[in-house]
Amino acid sequence: MGEFLLVTIQVDMHDRLAMSLQDDLTAQIVRHTARGVLIDISALEMVDSFIGRMLSNIANMARLLDAETVVVGMRPSVAITLVELGMPMRGIRTALDVEKGMTALKIALQGDPSTDAGSVVPID
Amino acid sequence: MTIPILSVHVRYEQDTVAARQRSRQIARLLGFDNQDQTRIATAVSEITRNAFRYAGGGKVEFIVEGATAPQLLLVRVTDSGAGIEDLDRILDGRYTSQTGMGLGILGARRLMDQFEIYSEPQRGTAVTLKKILPRNAPYLSQADVGAIVDQINRESPRDTLAELESQNQELLRTLHELRRRQEELTELNQELEDTNRGVVALYAELDEKADHLRRADVLKTKFLSNMSHEFRSPLNSILALSDLLLGHSDGPLNSEQAYQVGFIRKAAEDLYELVNDLLDLAKVEAGKVEVRPNYFEVVNLFGALRGMLRPLFLNQSVALTFDIEDNPPSVFSDEGKVSQILRNFISNALKFTERGEVRVAARAQGDRLILSVADTGIGIGKEDQDRIFQDFAQVDGPLQRKYKGTGLGLPLSRKLAHLLRGEVSVTSQLGQGSIFTLDIPLEWETRPPDPAPVEFATETGPLVLIVENRPDAALMYAKWLKGSGTRMVHAASIRDARFRISAERPAVVILDILLDGEDTWNLLASLKASPETSDLPIIVVSTIDDPGKAYHLGADEYLVKPVGRDEFVAAIRRFAGFQQPKILIIDDDEKDRYLLKHRLRGAPVEIAEAASGPDGISMAVADRPNLIFLDLGLPGMTGHEVLSALKEDPRTKGIPVIIHTSARLEPEERERLGSVAAAVVLKDELAREGALDRLARELGAVGRILAGSAII
Repeated sequence: MGEFLLVTIQVDMHDRLAMSLQDDLTAQIVRHTARGVLIDISALEMVDSFIGRMLSNIANMARLLDAETVVVGMRPSVAITLVELGMPMRGIRTALDVEKGMTALKIALQGDPSTDAGSVVPID
Repeated sequence: MTIPILSVHVRYEQDTVAARQRSRQIARLLGFDNQDQTRIATAVSEITRNAFRYAGGGKVEFIVEGATAPQLLLVRVTDSGAGIEDLDRILDGRYTSQTGMGLGILGARRLMDQFEIYSEPQRGTAVTLKKILPRNAPYLSQADVGAIVDQINRESPRDTLAELESQNQELLRTLHELRRRQEELTELNQELEDTNRGVVALYAELDEKADHLRRADVLKTKFLSNMSHEFRSPLNSILALSDLLLGHSDGPLNSEQAYQVGFIRKAAEDLYELVNDLLDLAKVEAGKVEVRPNYFEVVNLFGALRGMLRPLFLNQSVALTFDIEDNPPSVFSDEGKVSQILRNFISNALKFTERGEVRVAARAQGDRLILSVADTGIGIGKEDQDRIFQDFAQVDGPLQRKYKGTGLGLPLSRKLAHLLRGEVSVTSQLGQGSIFTLDIPLEWETRPPDPAPVEFATETGPLVLIVENRPDAALMYAKWLKGSGTRMVHAASIRDARFRISAERPAVVILDILLDGEDTWNLLASLKASPETSDLPIIVVSTIDDPGKAYHLGADEYLVKPVGRDEFVAAIRRFAGFQQPKILIIDDDEKDRYLLKHRLRGAPVEIAEAASGPDGISMAVADRPNLIFLDLGLPGMTGHEVLSALKEDPRTKGIPVIIHTSARLEPEERERLGSVAAAVVLKDELAREGALDRLARELGAVGRILAGSAII
């Protein structure tokens, strides 16, 4: 199997919504035995400490579930703000866009024969 | 100078999102670059989250501050939560959040130009975030800010969710306001309750006072009723002794002494009157006066009053008249008290009327009896009309001074009237006279039902009315009378008896004198006094052995209980059985005889018939009928001849004869016949109303029986 999950965050999430995304995503990783997770945050104009931490948590949990996470599409202002905020985005791999993210995932999972790099399960 | 832009209330999680979106939007409109927009939105997001998480919500205000450029964007986030405990440590960066967070405050401080936080335990937290507007931004006036607000409103897409949200917020605000008002109300309520408690306490105090007063009043009444008795005995002595002195029983007094003793006597009389009134009043107030209702007729009451007041009636220029409007029904009330009240009214009226009349009137109005005493006296001024019913109140004036009273009569009358469930009132005009009115119910209480009369099988024969309150006695009489050729009806009360006498016209009345305290003597007297019933035989049966009084009042027979059957039946036979009138009809026409018999049907009479003149004459001689109806047109011997024969025979001379003919009589003939016969009645006339009444008047007892029959 070894699918990738693609999560596109299109709305400004309130905290509970963010928490449920975290729960859903981990469940989906297990269900699809996904090896990679792409989280597209290009629609987010702002990432505060909570969402930042949530992204970080997702990455860590995914790793425990044997999946790599790549956050893609972060806006520059968001990146600057996260740094200024003092938010350490530990354990998060990032890429500029989905395509680059996909590539990064494939590289990360290179040599793993079970990986079918072509199939992507989008989750929203 | 501060210019508010808008504020966002944070109550739900979604509101935190709205707050940061609003911040970003405002920041953009104020000219902040993209980076700053993100910074501001992020900072607001952090602080708003704290407010929502730790204080359950709050308020985010956006304000432009500064009188000159560069101005500041000021975002104030306030909540009323528990406050932040380790604020200093958080601000020093030494704090590690239990929840792993704790970046919010410090992060926000880093993102903004100025940061102030103020937190007080249990009062809430206020965080002020400031960012200097970009250098090139123009100075914003109130109007500019207004324009920005308009812009925000335009930009915020009014989708259904937003609309719903805003409505929701509106609702929440209203709810909040309502809650606040409710709190106010509760507070007010509390205040009212406090006041109320005060009032209740006051009431309790008043009750206590009232109780004291009541007790004082009871004491007064007790004192009066006890003392009045004590007063009376010495007064009686004074009166008796002064009478002795004035009567010269121990030697004559000289004129001066007689004069003085006269004064003593007069003073004692006045005092005696006062004491009596006081005693009455005290008795009423003490509730010692009982109402003893009985049936009475207003006519009788007025008769008694007239007699009683005669001595008072000294002034010849005042007429006292009694006026009864068409026969008011009998009254069931306390006659003595009604009489006392009226006496009081009348004696007052007589006192204060120098000329004219005092008119006592009675009328029934619905179920009330209105008794009034109108005079043409001095009258009472409006201002005194209420006062006169108060104890010891008297109107001042020359006439009042002349006839000094106790001032207790009217209050007493009023109290008595109340006892009778009635009311006294006065209408008066100064100088014109007064009308005092007593208004009482016709029935003081529900009339006790008349004892049910014993019903008897209808028999034929003269009707005997048994007036007897004991049903067992009535039943015994009925047994005795069975087969005696009489019918019997039973009345258990005087009222019933009166009704049956007038409705059923009995041939004889058996009257028991002891009828539950009712005045049967009065019934006897009035029956004997009325021309209608004066010759109705009345047999008194009583345990009281007082035949003298009964005979004096007109009783026809007096039997003392226990009475035996034979004695009883014999007495009835004597008065009813043998008195049953016999009527002889002499007419050849069977149809006419039948018609006349039919008309007399039900009358307590015995009817004999003769179809010819000679038969009729012989029957009249043999049977001595009480009345003969004679037809004129008889075959053989004419009616004229029969009449002459009857009037010539001394045995039949006294029998009244009614010429009963269908012939058209000439006036002379009619007159001639009328001089011999008792009456002339045309056959077609007999059916007319009044004909038998006329007969009844002319024929006395016999006629009365006729009139009482079913003919009319």
